[in-house]
Amino acid sequence: MTDTGDDVVIRARGLKRYYHRGSETVRALDGVDLDLRRGEMVSILGPSGSGKTTLVNLLSCLDTPTDGTLSVAGREVFGLPEDELAGVRRGTLGFVFQKFYLLPTLTVAENVELPLVFCRRRADRAATMAVLGQVGLEDRATHFPRELSGGQMQRVAIARALVVEPRILIADEPTGNLDSQNGEAIFALFRSLVTSRRLTLVVTTHNLALGYLADRVIVLHDGKVLKEEPGRPAPATP
Amino acid sequence: MRFILLAMKNLLRRPMRSALTVVGVGLAVAVTVSLSGFILGYRQAIDESINKLGFQVMIMAKGCPYEAATMMLKGGTGLLYLPEDVYDQVRKDPAVESITPVFIGVAEKEAGGIAETASTSYTVVTGIEAETYAAMKPWLALATGPGYDGGRWFRPDAQDEVVMGYEAATYEQRKVGDTFYLSVIPAGHTEPVMHKFKVTGVLARTGSQDDGTVFMPYRAAQTVFGRPGRLTIVGIKLKEFAGPMVQEFSERWIKLPEVQVVGLEQVKSTLVMLVGAAQVMLSAVAVIAVVVATIGVVNTILMSVYERTGEIGIMKAIGASRSDIFELIWLETLAVCALGAVTGCLLAVLGSRLVEKGILAIFDIGVHGSIVRITPAVLGAAVAGTVVVGFFAGLYPAWRAASMRPVEAIREGIE
Repeated sequence: MTDTGDDVVIRARGLKRYYHRGSETVRALDGVDLDLRRGEMVSILGPSGSGKTTLVNLLSCLDTPTDGTLSVAGREVFGLPEDELAGVRRGTLGFVFQKFYLLPTLTVAENVELPLVFCRRRADRAATMAVLGQVGLEDRATHFPRELSGGQMQRVAIARALVVEPRILIADEPTGNLDSQNGEAIFALFRSLVTSRRLTLVVTTHNLALGYLADRVIVLHDGKVLKEEPGRPAPATP
Repeated sequence: MRFILLAMKNLLRRPMRSALTVVGVGLAVAVTVSLSGFILGYRQAIDESINKLGFQVMIMAKGCPYEAATMMLKGGTGLLYLPEDVYDQVRKDPAVESITPVFIGVAEKEAGGIAETASTSYTVVTGIEAETYAAMKPWLALATGPGYDGGRWFRPDAQDEVVMGYEAATYEQRKVGDTFYLSVIPAGHTEPVMHKFKVTGVLARTGSQDDGTVFMPYRAAQTVFGRPGRLTIVGIKLKEFAGPMVQEFSERWIKLPEVQVVGLEQVKSTLVMLVGAAQVMLSAVAVIAVVVATIGVVNTILMSVYERTGEIGIMKAIGASRSDIFELIWLETLAVCALGAVTGCLLAVLGSRLVEKGILAIFDIGVHGSIVRITPAVLGAAVAGTVVVGFFAGLYPAWRAASMRPVEAIREGIE
């Protein structure tokens, strides 16, 4: 499904990503059209190798497409060099990955403030605490990652993504390392963030039940959109 | 949080590995600083030791001039002698400002030392003319204080009086008025003859070879050693001490049979050259230590970069540019090197006396005073040099980290 509305924050047309493995060409993504709107939570589902991670890597400007057009926050990013892509990511996009990648020698608050170092922005501890409050970890600010559970570490990673107030949050298998209870809690948190901040949230998951909690579900197969359908979002936790 | 703080915290992730790398750099810096301090200190010690001879030129019997100079600095055996009338002839030279005759011999001490061993039971005996010798060394003074008060130079014609250098007196536990025994085998004899002397004075400490010497009138020394009418050297100060003057003076007196004229500037440069080969070897050791430490630093930082591949990918994802990552890894390398430099400087300063003892145990270099001189300039150069090494050592790991594509780095990190 495509949309021409003004609130579209990511627009992809004919997006392709091919790899070469020896003499073989792997069509990881083979012509995807996509519009993602502001305040929308979209799940990308599909079996392993369907192209989920390739798609989110392209949408998040971590990788460059082989062909097609891609506009992120109104800027055409196809063909931009790495440092300009970093500029697009900085402040526009937030990331959450399956592996939390918290720096073990930094406290929770310092980990959250890390993106500000690269944005050359002064850390505001009050703002950091507010973000930690949103993910329910304000009492863990001075703790080190080793003192947290897996679910708490993922919440810190989400807070780290939110501290630069991104317009788009990309989460690639964010519940892959969590049990079902923590996984549901993370999705509930996502829902509340989308509602409260009007974020655009793109999330990939293997978990169909969680995936269908999104507003919209895109199912990939062999690098193509197999189907696209509305989700069954639960009401946001107050 | 600043980049430098982030870099320092990254180093704390593997504290043992970081510490070992810092210690490796520190050892290399300590070796380099110590050897630089030795090279500097040795040259200064030679300068000071030779300046404290008081002479500008020496006339001595033909032989190896450097052996003779070394003998003057620290004593020795196998001495050669020249006729005393050389002294009488040279003193009339109009270029001479002051001149003094010196007779040197080695005698066996008879009891009384603090800890006598085969190597410490001999002493250098220097026969001098007190008036002209002291005039050439205006810093010489008789010690005062309990046991030293009332001291005086020996009488010129005395046969049984000695003045002891400060260390010689301390070592032999002698005060003014004490008796001192020496056993000497006179020239042409095979049996030693015991001599009894009265200590008429003890010299104040000079920090030179004179501190360990026993002085007596040169005529008495000639008699004791059975070499009447012979001298070991004639020490000379010229009215003008410029290259051509020394050259002209040398040419005038080199014509005498069995005599050589040695300028002490020449001796200085030769003594420096004598340990030049050792200095080259020691410098090579320092260079190897620095190279090994540098490889260690590069290896440590590279390992750290590879271990943090995923993290570097995440940092890039959340906005770090190539230059940010480069700066971060580079700062880590510089921090390791700077910490190593400080550690090495501390080690070198604290261990300098140990190094000095080690060098003196290996090389008998014939100078007095401290031979390892670690100056602020040496320490500053060491720190600056190490930071420069860190500057280059960090380039490759920083470039590797900065060149990682975020998507691949994150993927590798997950795998």
